[in-house]
Amino acid sequence: MPEIVLKDLTKSYGDTKAADGLSLTVKDGEYICILGPTGAGKTTCLRMICGLTKQDSGEITFDGKPMDKVPISERRTTMLSQVYSLFPPMTVYENVMFSPSIKEWPEEESKQLVKSMIKMVHMDQKVQQYPHELSGGQQQRTALARALASDSKVLLLDEPLRALDARLRLELRKELKSMAKEMGLTSIHVTHDQDEALEMADRIAIIRQGRIVQIGTPMEVFQNPATPFVANFVGRSNIFVGKVGTSDETGTEVILPDGTKVRSRHTDLSEGEDAVVAVKIGSTRIEHIPVPTEEVPNPLMPEGYFEAVIERILYEGATITVEMSSSAIELVTCKLPNRKFDDFSVGDRVMVSWAPDKATLFRIPECGIVEELRLD
Amino acid sequence: MSLFKKINAISDNDKVRKAWFGLAVAVFVCLIIVPSIFVVTKLLTEWGVVSDTLGNSEIMSLIYGAVGNSFSIAFIVTIIDIIVGIPMAWIFVRKNFKGKKYLDTLMDMPLAFPTAVLGISVVIFWGVPADGVTIPGLGLVVSPYMMMIMLHIIFTYPYMVRSLSAILEQIEPNYETAAMTLGASRFTAVRTITLPLFRAGLVTGFILCFARSLSETGGTYIALTLMGDETTFFTGPTFIAFMKEMDPSVALGPMIVISVIMIVLALILLLLVKRIMIRIKLPVTKVWPSIGRKLSNGIAPKLKDIVSIGFLMLVVLLPAFYIFAYLTQPILNVDYGQLLSSTGMSFLVAGVAVVFDIIFGIPVALYIARHRHTKMGQLLDNLVNIPLIIPTTALGFSLALFWGSLGTGGIISVILVILGHTSFTYPLVVRNITGAVEEVDPSYEEVAMTLGAKPLQAFSKVLMPIIKSSIIAGAILAFTRSLGETGATIAITSDVNTVPVYITELISSGSYSEAAICSIILILICFVFMFAVRAVTHRGDKSA
Amino acid sequence: MATKIELDGISMKFGDFYAVRNISLKVEEGEYITILGPSGCGKTTLIKVIAGIWRPTEGRVLVDGQDVTDVPIEDRDTGYVFQNIALFPNMDLMENVGYSPRVKDMPKDVTESVSTEYLELVKMLDRAGMFPGELSGGEQQKVAIARALASGSKMLMLDEPLSALDARVRVELRYDIRRLVKKLGITVLHVTHDQEEAMSVSDRIVLMRAGGIHESGSPLEMYREPKSIFAAYFIGETNLLGCTVTDKSRTGKTTVRLRGGKSVKAARSELEEGDAAVISVRPERVYTATEGLKAKVLSVVFMGTYWRVRTVTETKDYVDYNISTDKVTPEIGSKVYLVFNKKATKVFKRPEKGLAEAIRLE
Repeated sequence: MPEIVLKDLTKSYGDTKAADGLSLTVKDGEYICILGPTGAGKTTCLRMICGLTKQDSGEITFDGKPMDKVPISERRTTMLSQVYSLFPPMTVYENVMFSPSIKEWPEEESKQLVKSMIKMVHMDQKVQQYPHELSGGQQQRTALARALASDSKVLLLDEPLRALDARLRLELRKELKSMAKEMGLTSIHVTHDQDEALEMADRIAIIRQGRIVQIGTPMEVFQNPATPFVANFVGRSNIFVGKVGTSDETGTEVILPDGTKVRSRHTDLSEGEDAVVAVKIGSTRIEHIPVPTEEVPNPLMPEGYFEAVIERILYEGATITVEMSSSAIELVTCKLPNRKFDDFSVGDRVMVSWAPDKATLFRIPECGIVEELRLD
Repeated sequence: MSLFKKINAISDNDKVRKAWFGLAVAVFVCLIIVPSIFVVTKLLTEWGVVSDTLGNSEIMSLIYGAVGNSFSIAFIVTIIDIIVGIPMAWIFVRKNFKGKKYLDTLMDMPLAFPTAVLGISVVIFWGVPADGVTIPGLGLVVSPYMMMIMLHIIFTYPYMVRSLSAILEQIEPNYETAAMTLGASRFTAVRTITLPLFRAGLVTGFILCFARSLSETGGTYIALTLMGDETTFFTGPTFIAFMKEMDPSVALGPMIVISVIMIVLALILLLLVKRIMIRIKLPVTKVWPSIGRKLSNGIAPKLKDIVSIGFLMLVVLLPAFYIFAYLTQPILNVDYGQLLSSTGMSFLVAGVAVVFDIIFGIPVALYIARHRHTKMGQLLDNLVNIPLIIPTTALGFSLALFWGSLGTGGIISVILVILGHTSFTYPLVVRNITGAVEEVDPSYEEVAMTLGAKPLQAFSKVLMPIIKSSIIAGAILAFTRSLGETGATIAITSDVNTVPVYITELISSGSYSEAAICSIILILICFVFMFAVRAVTHRGDKSA
Repeated sequence: MATKIELDGISMKFGDFYAVRNISLKVEEGEYITILGPSGCGKTTLIKVIAGIWRPTEGRVLVDGQDVTDVPIEDRDTGYVFQNIALFPNMDLMENVGYSPRVKDMPKDVTESVSTEYLELVKMLDRAGMFPGELSGGEQQKVAIARALASGSKMLMLDEPLSALDARVRVELRYDIRRLVKKLGITVLHVTHDQEEAMSVSDRIVLMRAGGIHESGSPLEMYREPKSIFAAYFIGETNLLGCTVTDKSRTGKTTVRLRGGKSVKAARSELEEGDAAVISVRPERVYTATEGLKAKVLSVVFMGTYWRVRTVTETKDYVDYNISTDKVTPEIGSKVYLVFNKKATKVFKRPEKGLAEAIRLE
């Protein structure tokens, strides 16, 4: 169960850089998710770890031992891919038996091991079936059993759930992680699905254009994004541009182009500088505008709020999504618990706000805000 | 450590893998490519003889005529194949009907016929054969040129339909559906969307058919003999075969000249055809909705299908199988001893050649399949096509010149014939394996290696079982191709009596009925053999 | 509003297998309907029949009251968007979007203005000269939608349009699609296996299973008042616990006994005392209290806007519940007491073939 260290890896295919100074340390027994959009270099990263692709420069070590000269078959890394790659001419049993028979382990022991793995993934009713007779989920389980029966110490998962139905994915997330943990494997799971990463990972590494842009626990990555891209990629955010205003002990003021003032957490940016503001849609709150009454004929809009009109309310199950337009920000979205569904209707004028520490400020990115936020 | 383990462990070594691949490429280049085009060097070493020939206007006009016939026949045949082949490919790929499987098998049958047999069959079906033929013909075709076209269509047509089908299968059917949901009639959808995506298939089909027609000797020669035109009408290959019968001192010059011309023209064609085909403007910009609509509904599409299947039946299958009409005749005395020994020789040559193809073809095929985007991969891919496009007679002649210093006669002749057959069957095997490997997701082998398999184990335990049936299909194709080959064998030596050579001799001596019966027996042996191979290899293939 | 599409007893048979069996459905003009279901439930077959790609074995398809069952696909005027996108690779975006007007023999300037208009609509006009291969998946799918709409069709069939895309792109694009079609007033049938996607885009969800319509309703109805265990399980997340009905009040409110003997109050039901039952309660309707169903905490997972706590109860059932991210999370292994929101606890008859079979996905 090694600690894996990737140091300054680079890999180019023609003009495209699949890895561009990629560094990452994976702790012993950790379940790490590499999260990023298509084409960010996720798969290349996995392939370099198991030796299927050779890096142009940089070093990979397992427990301090360089892996350059170690052939694929001796790295004890095993890959679980989105296409499963079960060997078509072999039964479930023969597939799982592949590694033990290649490595010529004692027969009785191998049989026991294979049987217990097949049982563990609930495939014991299907041992004599061929891959094409199995459903997607069953194929994925068999591939997992085959990987686990190989005495590997590192499990590499290349978008293992991508080809499955959405509902089935939810079920397999839990199974997959608990089995990897049970076997004490160091696991590196590559995915484009931030929900999957949040739910499964001990730590998430966000990858983009061949580099790791942030690494941390799901909560750190979600709540303290390092770049506007991360803020928007891991959970949707309302993102807009403003000018940094004055600060006090509760936070910093941000002035939007139309003059509206909103609040954010403290920042390194200096007063007057342009900044990108990101607020998770789940942290964005709305309230009805207080109606003038006899006691309070002119209710004041509290500071840090701005006004918006509800354009659409979507009931999405546990949560509802409310889309609004306002003069301050063109389109504001917020996500509320479903019990709030009956409180609002389309056309309502509402006040939008958030707790100051839920808004993060970033310097305007060099490549421009649109390019920074591109999702694919 | 057991031997197997050692070999497996060695396969982890990059250098060893490279060395093995290098050996395979070396064998390919030295034993197949170089001898095949060796004749070109004779331009320098035998310049005297060559310049004499070039100065002889009588011979040169024969040569020009033969080359002209070869290329124009090949061109016309290929164009006909394309026109009739496209709708047929559609029927095979996009339609489902009862008996499709049988039609599929039927279409491949002419490929298993020795071309010499086809030559007899076609002439007695369409033409007015020479005296002594006891089967009535239609008498429709009397010009040798037309007859050659009818003959060449039969053995090129299946190649065309196969390569077009292969490409069509890869073209997403949703493109057509999408076009139709947007208001295009089926005809318009196919013309504007699918056809432009089709060019790659056309290129392959074009090269295969053109080359096959260009290089065919046996059937052509026999057909001409039957019509009594063998000394007045030549194609490139039959000219070489004709000259081979002459005194070597007279024949050498013209043979070198025509071989070089055929080889050079064929190579130029191979290089150019891709570029030309990609540039050709297809009529896709303008639309004619009402015409498209008329052609898509009602009688038109049915008519098109009927004509396509009718063509397959009447022009391809019926003339090919017409030889079986001889079974209605009283059976003559056949020299079974001679037939049996030549059959044995044919099987020996074909068998050894195919085994050789497989052993040295697999590494090259793997490399091409997995490195198609690299320069080396593309180079090898093009090189592999060379023996395919060189007329086999020229190839045989070239080979005979290359190995000529070894002398001829006895076992050496047999070895030379085997080498010759290896040359033109090698591309068939390699192309089949390449195609199969490309279909297999590389992740199978990769996963096997991450599970602890050495590269050799990943190949033998994982990839091999998956592509086994394609290797066998390629082997059968190569085997039947070798069984049916006349030209190369004749051009290399006159000592080795394979069945097609024997049949050719029977025809030359006017024993038509005997030749026909021998042909039928040969066909039957071929089929029995093919089915036996299929049955044996399919046994235990539970997963398929 | 008028009925735009009507299906009347549609069945589709492949060999001996019914992919779709006896389906009748009415779609209002301008309605956004999602056909939701697991792989192999017949959902794609159904919209292919509506678009005319396949002719149904039995039944009729009516559009605007006209029987179009035998109208060929090219005259149906139904926009269709494929899962694998299927933009024509040999044409640039302008030509792709202009394909429909072109094959209908419109003059060149009309074709061009139509493609410009629809490319603009999906904000892809600045790439009009590019080829599909140069775009990302999400961008390609936008162009494919523009191409389908450029035919002037008032109906759009979306065949798993987002499945091939990255998760994050999927989320963004589904909101874009809904905004666009609502603006244009187009009737949409959208096929998907992703319940989250179905919930956020549709006016009405049609849940399919094994070739038939299992249940249908608005996202709200399907989530709050599912009529079957499968619907409760498939749409949103839920906790399912086996139990027996022990008591029914005069108003129909039901009390059940869980396996260990613990009593739980639930919503109204049709069941009678003594019936074997299953209760379904959503994780956001499970709370912790000082007394209730005793459970041990197995895991606590950060889900972005909430913590998901997974527990195993004294009745040996797994129960998940959510807590807000501002709150303190319980220690793993600690004991908690769970209570269910009474109204949100739905009672279903226990299926004869067992619970596992009733919620089987494949």
